[in-house]
Amino acid sequence: MLPPAEFVHWMFATGFLLLGLCLLAHAIVGDGVWRRRAWRAYLWPGLAFAMGVLMWPVMVFFTNSTIHMLAHGSWAQVMMLAGASELGLVRGKLHNRYWHLTMPLAFAVSGATFLIHEQNSWLFARSAFLHHMIGWTVIVGALFPLVATFRPRSALWRSGLALTFVVLSVLLYCDRDTAPIFGHLSPLAGEQHR
Amino acid sequence: MKRLVTVCYLVALALALPGTAWAHAALMKTTPAFAQRLERSPAFVQLRFDQSVSALPNAITVYTDKGRVVSGPARPGADRRVVTAPLQALPRGVYTVRWRVVSADSHSVAGVFTFGVRHRAPPATEAFGAAGPTTAEHVVRWLYFLALALLAGGLGFRLLVARGPLPPQAERRFYRIVGVGAVGVIEVGILAFLLRAEDALQLPFTNFLYGDLSPLASARFGVAFVTMTLGFALVSALLFLAWLTERRVLLWPALLLALGFASGLSLSGHSAVDAGSSWLSELADWAHLAAASLWVGGLVQLAFVVWPLAPELRRSAFLRFSKLATALIVILLSAGIYLSVLRLPHLSDLWSEGYGQVLIVKLGLVSLALLWGAAHHFVVRPALEQGAPLFSGLPRSLIGESAVGMAILLAAAVLVESKPPAQPPAKPLNAAATKR
Repeated sequence: MLPPAEFVHWMFATGFLLLGLCLLAHAIVGDGVWRRRAWRAYLWPGLAFAMGVLMWPVMVFFTNSTIHMLAHGSWAQVMMLAGASELGLVRGKLHNRYWHLTMPLAFAVSGATFLIHEQNSWLFARSAFLHHMIGWTVIVGALFPLVATFRPRSALWRSGLALTFVVLSVLLYCDRDTAPIFGHLSPLAGEQHR
Repeated sequence: MKRLVTVCYLVALALALPGTAWAHAALMKTTPAFAQRLERSPAFVQLRFDQSVSALPNAITVYTDKGRVVSGPARPGADRRVVTAPLQALPRGVYTVRWRVVSADSHSVAGVFTFGVRHRAPPATEAFGAAGPTTAEHVVRWLYFLALALLAGGLGFRLLVARGPLPPQAERRFYRIVGVGAVGVIEVGILAFLLRAEDALQLPFTNFLYGDLSPLASARFGVAFVTMTLGFALVSALLFLAWLTERRVLLWPALLLALGFASGLSLSGHSAVDAGSSWLSELADWAHLAAASLWVGGLVQLAFVVWPLAPELRRSAFLRFSKLATALIVILLSAGIYLSVLRLPHLSDLWSEGYGQVLIVKLGLVSLALLWGAAHHFVVRPALEQGAPLFSGLPRSLIGESAVGMAILLAAAVLVESKPPAQPPAKPLNAAATKR
């Protein structure tokens, strides 16, 4: 018995919220304070990696269309890749700073996949609106980790990255399958059933 | 610069368009259910979607196993999310439902499922119209075996043969090779599932993207895909953590899980579903696959990691691997012979049946590999044990042996995708008693 899709979105929203808050705290207090406890450096990359692993069950259990399955698979992979790269950098197993680019890559791929896998128009239903919104937010948000790779000490870009995750989580929390958006529900969507 | 702006504009356009162009409905429920066995002929087939759909008269077509159409024209219900097609009175047999409806935005979605009337329904991969494995599926299956060998064989080699610390370069290369195997198993597994689904659905590519895969995911093959994908994702995570934390102990659960989840192939293949299959045939199939993976993957590690990057370990690694390979070959041959006898009831099937002919090619390659391995075991190994210098041609010889191993995996991939000859009908258990 599969949980409704929005429940899964809410679970991941919680993960992204934690991720965003960790990054925001890090950006506000700076490296010196954040790394007073060694484990904190692993906190958000570990969370990103774990969320990537947890995306695999979503991929294999939600198979109502090929493109849906492929979209979830691509999110699982890019989240694992970005988390793993950051963990490798923190641990000192990776040294090249360009490994940080896996994060904007993950953003860009995720955003594009969000837009491609959502088959309905913006105002079809709330979930469709949110998928479009998330897709564009994530694509534009890719700028923050991209610039932060080259300006690692800039609190502005790091905060932007953190806030992108927070916005993403809020959008995911708003998700409900067939529910109206701005009081509108396309007649093609049928009746609101949850 | 102008070109860059144009490219950016096109990318933005491509991302903006799908939202309005690719709307489609998802199938929520069917009557009969996927692969359901019914005791009486159903009066209709009904599909329920999550959105309103338009149904053309041929929206639902039900076929017998011979391809005869037994359904009437489909009609939309009062609820526009429901489509129904009447059925003739169906005799005992298996039936394939192919459906295609038009979403309200004029784009079509499609799917396939099966059911049986007083008969077990076949999986959707064996629906009427599915053409069976193609050359692409053989190649993909081979790549899967190779990836599995790199992963499981690499882990086995590191834990059982090259047990101590490796020089940093060799350690890095070990993780790269095993990592390629881990990623390969997942990616190629997805590709294999999609190829099988495409064959069952029989749709053009753009429609296939919106094809409903749930009947396939609930078939035996699909369950194996789901379980193995999750299992190998976990193996990848363990492998990464072992690399990150430099804790080799994490490789043990990775190896055990990799070998364990490889059983998904045995539990969904010929050894599990064909006539004459039993738990013993499944176990033999798994042992055959696991031994082959450990052998080929171990050879790759010996030839490409230890030999070029850890010269001080060459002698000890070769001697240890030689012992391990002997045990693996015994398992490989015992399980292989048992499975061959099981699947080919007559000796003449070897040359008269397509399955048997591929098996002959595989046996030829296995014989070559055995001769090669025997030369290593009976000539090189005693010399090395007596302290003789390492032969300069040994690395090339190891690469040659692993290449033959990979060729055997290709033959195995074709065999797995081929249909063994039909088993002779079983004699009645009490035939002798009846005669008496």
